Amino acid sequence: MGLLANIGRKLSEDAKNVATTPVDTLRNWKYTVEAVQRGEVPASEVVKVAVSTILATVMVLVLLFPIYWILMAALSGSGASLYTSESFRLVPANPTLKPFIWVIGDLIVPGYAISLSIPLTDLAVVFNTPEITILDAANYGIDRPSSFKKFLWNSVTVAIPTVLIAMSLIIPAAYALSRQEFLLRRKVLFLYVLMTQVGGGLGVALLIGMYAIYVQFGINDSKLALAVYYAATAVPFNTWLLKTYMDGIPVSYEEAAVVDGAPPWRVVTEVILPMSAAGLATVFIFIFLTGWTEFVVAQTLLGTENYTLPVGLYSLVGEYSIPWARFSAFALTFATPIMLVYLFAQRYIEGGLSFSGMEG
Amino acid sequence: MSTATRVANRVEKVPFLSRGDASLLLVLPGLFIFSAFMLFPVVYLVGISFTNAEPANLFAGEGVVSILTFGDATFVGLKNYANILTDPQFWNSFGITWLFVATSVVLKILTSLSIALVVTSDLVRGKRFLRSFIIFPMGLPPIFTITVWRGIFSSAEFGLMNQFLTGFGFEPVAWLSGRWTAFMAYNITEAWLAYPFMVIITVSALQDVSEELHEAAVVDGAGFVSRFLHVTLPSIKRPVLFATILTSAASFQQFLIPFVFNEGGPARANELLIVYGYREALQFQEYGRGAAISIVALVFIGAFMWLNVKKGRLADGVND
Repeated sequence: MGLLANIGRKLSEDAKNVATTPVDTLRNWKYTVEAVQRGEVPASEVVKVAVSTILATVMVLVLLFPIYWILMAALSGSGASLYTSESFRLVPANPTLKPFIWVIGDLIVPGYAISLSIPLTDLAVVFNTPEITILDAANYGIDRPSSFKKFLWNSVTVAIPTVLIAMSLIIPAAYALSRQEFLLRRKVLFLYVLMTQVGGGLGVALLIGMYAIYVQFGINDSKLALAVYYAATAVPFNTWLLKTYMDGIPVSYEEAAVVDGAPPWRVVTEVILPMSAAGLATVFIFIFLTGWTEFVVAQTLLGTENYTLPVGLYSLVGEYSIPWARFSAFALTFATPIMLVYLFAQRYIEGGLSFSGMEG
Repeated sequence: MSTATRVANRVEKVPFLSRGDASLLLVLPGLFIFSAFMLFPVVYLVGISFTNAEPANLFAGEGVVSILTFGDATFVGLKNYANILTDPQFWNSFGITWLFVATSVVLKILTSLSIALVVTSDLVRGKRFLRSFIIFPMGLPPIFTITVWRGIFSSAEFGLMNQFLTGFGFEPVAWLSGRWTAFMAYNITEAWLAYPFMVIITVSALQDVSEELHEAAVVDGAGFVSRFLHVTLPSIKRPVLFATILTSAASFQQFLIPFVFNEGGPARANELLIVYGYREALQFQEYGRGAAISIVALVFIGAFMWLNVKKGRLADGVND
């Protein structure tokens, strides 16, 4: 719980920072203007800073333009807009949320009949829960909403086992590799470092062999088998990453805990795990994203019923045309939660990706 | 007595193992799962590459025994390898793969280094914000961004790139129908996909460059360029080299970009090695041939990794 509270505190700090930034920026500007007026700061310096900041911002905007483009495509609704004779406009003429409604589809909690029989009598009390309609796609003229919810369910049922399996394999291994000396330790580490360089690509190269094995075992359409595969691919890089992170934690903390009489498991749960929170968060996000965004293997192995979100997304793409509005609405609904997690987790990721073993 | 201690005591009783080796038990599960899912398919792939496997004979039998006998596929020796090594299609794919590695890596390093320099520059305000935004694409699923880029390079007149060109008075280009324009599109997309990762590493390296060195160089009258070449570059060399190695391995194994853009077209001209193997096996049903191509690719990936780990001293962390 301490860990969660900690993360919560950090998040609220972040939110506060984001909220106060405009005020702070304005104050800074005012301060600068006053300083220039008093003649303490040369005006040329200020102009230089302003110009380069504007140029840097323009660069960032250009780099992110494809994302903006696709967002506008989703909002423009008709779906044909990208290829119609109108050229691209910064804001669509008639923005609509229809594609998003198409993606989400009906949100209806069906009514249930709950009956409680009263003991020793023949009587029963029956409750009928009302049907709760949060969103009815038909009201917006959408008859056949997407299978987003089915894909989402598939993705969740792949991602959760992936993370659980991978974390339970990675944390003990990283701890042992970081803190203990044992037979074959160097060999294992070397193999892992070697393998860190080949993530998904190796998977594609192996796909033929893997596909053949899976089909023969009859597990080619199993979500759990896919989750175990994802966990397996995540092992080398993430074990090594977490190990380098744990290397940065001074051993003296553990020694202090041992001196205070803590048993080994408490040293791990009370010292090592809390102190490697940033590393754990990084690893967690990396593993989660592996399973959440992987496409090629999932597409080859899974049948239509078990399509995960990336495969479902690509199944919208036709040979010659792409229904852009729906495609991008689907993709954004799928990617936005990840991006939000990512933005907030950035400080962890930057801290966790320190590659302390790399600086020579 | 706790379980851990008991296990440790028991391990100690085994000859040639010492007490500390019990920790190996913490590593073994991960190692086992990894081997089962990565190394076993490699072995199996090698096996398939020596047979005439195709769906009809490979999946003929049922159960564990048929896995070991590769179904009803028959052993053909080195025939698949001899076939691909005499096939111009293979050499074309081989060449274009290396060309792609060379061009895309250069493009990636130049872009990422410039971006990293801009977002760490002293002249820019609000760097933290810019940096947060700039690595945004990393959070997007590749299949999504790559499809978006396919739209950008769409041969239709109103793909974003063509709108841009016509806006400047140029003729629209059928990007994905020409060999080299498609190749260019691959490169640009690859650079865009890879820059967030490269920028993160380069930025953290740039922040470690010592201020004193820079100040000393300024006092000595060094301009921006010579400071960059003689102070910044040597300090960030190792992390950038590390990122370069990772990213060139990624380029070599690039699959999704050609696959989504035009399946390595036009007319199979731009099939990178992995795409080539994948299509031979899973689209043209030549499993043995596809496996042989994948093995050739794996040999190169393996050699490349080995060289990097040895020469790039990547495994330095191992000997801590």
